[in-house]
Amino acid sequence: MDRVIKLADQLFEDYKDYGVDRKEIVEKLRKLLVEFGVTENEAVRTIRNYIIREYGAPATIRRERITKIEEIKEPNKWVTVKVKVIQLWESSSPSVSQVGLIGDETGYIRFLVWTKAKKKPVEEGKCYIFRNVVVDDYGGILRLNVTKISEIEEIDEDIKVKSPEDIREEVEVVGALVAIQQNSGLIQRCSIEGCNRVIKMGKCPEHGKTKPKDDLRIKGVLDDGYRTYEVIINEEGVENLTGINLEKAKKIAEETLDRNAVLVELKKMLLGKYLRVVGTATPRYLIAKHAEFFRPDIRKELEKIKAILEEIQ
Amino acid sequence: MTVLLKREVARRVFAKELMSSTYTLRDESEKSPLYVLTPLGLKCSRVFIIGVLTDMEERGEDGNIYRIRVADHTGAFIGYIGKYQPEAYEAIEEIDLLTPVAITAKVRVFEGETRKFVTLRPEMISVADPESKDYWVIETAVQTLKRIEEMKKGESDTARLAMEIYNTDLEEYRRAVREAVEKVMESYEFYFEERMLEEEEEEFEIEEDEELSFEEEEIDLTELLKD
Repeated sequence: MDRVIKLADQLFEDYKDYGVDRKEIVEKLRKLLVEFGVTENEAVRTIRNYIIREYGAPATIRRERITKIEEIKEPNKWVTVKVKVIQLWESSSPSVSQVGLIGDETGYIRFLVWTKAKKKPVEEGKCYIFRNVVVDDYGGILRLNVTKISEIEEIDEDIKVKSPEDIREEVEVVGALVAIQQNSGLIQRCSIEGCNRVIKMGKCPEHGKTKPKDDLRIKGVLDDGYRTYEVIINEEGVENLTGINLEKAKKIAEETLDRNAVLVELKKMLLGKYLRVVGTATPRYLIAKHAEFFRPDIRKELEKIKAILEEIQ
Repeated sequence: MTVLLKREVARRVFAKELMSSTYTLRDESEKSPLYVLTPLGLKCSRVFIIGVLTDMEERGEDGNIYRIRVADHTGAFIGYIGKYQPEAYEAIEEIDLLTPVAITAKVRVFEGETRKFVTLRPEMISVADPESKDYWVIETAVQTLKRIEEMKKGESDTARLAMEIYNTDLEEYRRAVREAVEKVMESYEFYFEERMLEEEEEEFEIEEDEELSFEEEEIDLTELLKD
């Protein structure tokens, strides 16, 4: 019986705009499937033909075109997506009622619901079809905008989303290093094989007191005025930028009897500087493969701004 | 899962725009920081600036607060660095006056008797190289022009609110941006001319550039005449 209802619902959904009677579909389906024992395909086919004949429905019904998130590549397109709400963030504006991250099996994208759209709030972990949402470009990041004419429908389906570890994107970012976090510089990692976690207050968060091994890295914030990137620069990157490698860092620590002296030195050299970082962006971190001081071609930049100034005059 | 912890972006704003701000607002959320709304509709609580340190004086009972002035091509920022920002405090003690500096700062609003004043509370201050300083001007010019365009369109809520509160003269800001960019241009043309004397064989390029600078002078003259 469940099977009958389910198929009937699908058919009804497809043809409800043509005035079909749901009860009629259920009865006909039951007859075909239960009484006559025909196959599901045959039963559906029979009913479709019946509806086309009796209600004048078109032979091919318009199926919804669901766009996969990985296909969304440019702004100003209207799309319909089937997604899971991964995470909701705090809205930074009263005109935006909800903001967060949604995903399907191909990727993630940010979304926002405008307050004026007056939509029922979505919930984390639930799946929805977002119909007629428009893509915009917010400082280089694509977002889906839910507006008044969009539709959000909750669906009873669990969409498998790509795990965050699989979402990696090669990016190049130029920005100012506006902060360097405390757990940077000459740090210690857990030496237990496969762990490698950073040791805090002498303890590995997983294994407690273990034999530490030294490492050199920077965890900081790269900021281009539109968005921030939590950037991680490894020993090689640090050396490329500052000339300080692990060996030198250890030497500084020994000479000053202060491991923190390395961080102080790195901060002096790097804070407030424009960096060009090429690396892998995960939803949380930008892991630098290559980091260097950004050397702008001021002339070229001047040409660009001059063109903008002339255009808006 | 922690995805993209929210950190306030350090905005690029010229002194003229930021220091003219008098209006503050918060989001609906409880944890919202206090934002300053600038005359060009930018909501900001943190900035990144590069300018010249023009003044520094000790304030407070034990002289444990530095009041600093940092000038850009449009005006000057005022900042206060106390011991409770140890990093910036230690750094400023080693920086001389009339040095280009890069600063990341929280934006604070001080309620004066007649109006509100914007001040900066630097989180970090370091010596900047001249090239970065020029780049900052261009970067800030681009971002400011974008805001001017947004104001013209008047589509966003913050743009409309800013226009309502400040009745902003957009042309005035466009001119300020232009002047700031021209100051950078001047220094590069100077540099280029110097180099030209050394590399006389590149005749073709010389001609091209003379023409360029001539055109700019013409624009300047018409602007003067209009005023």
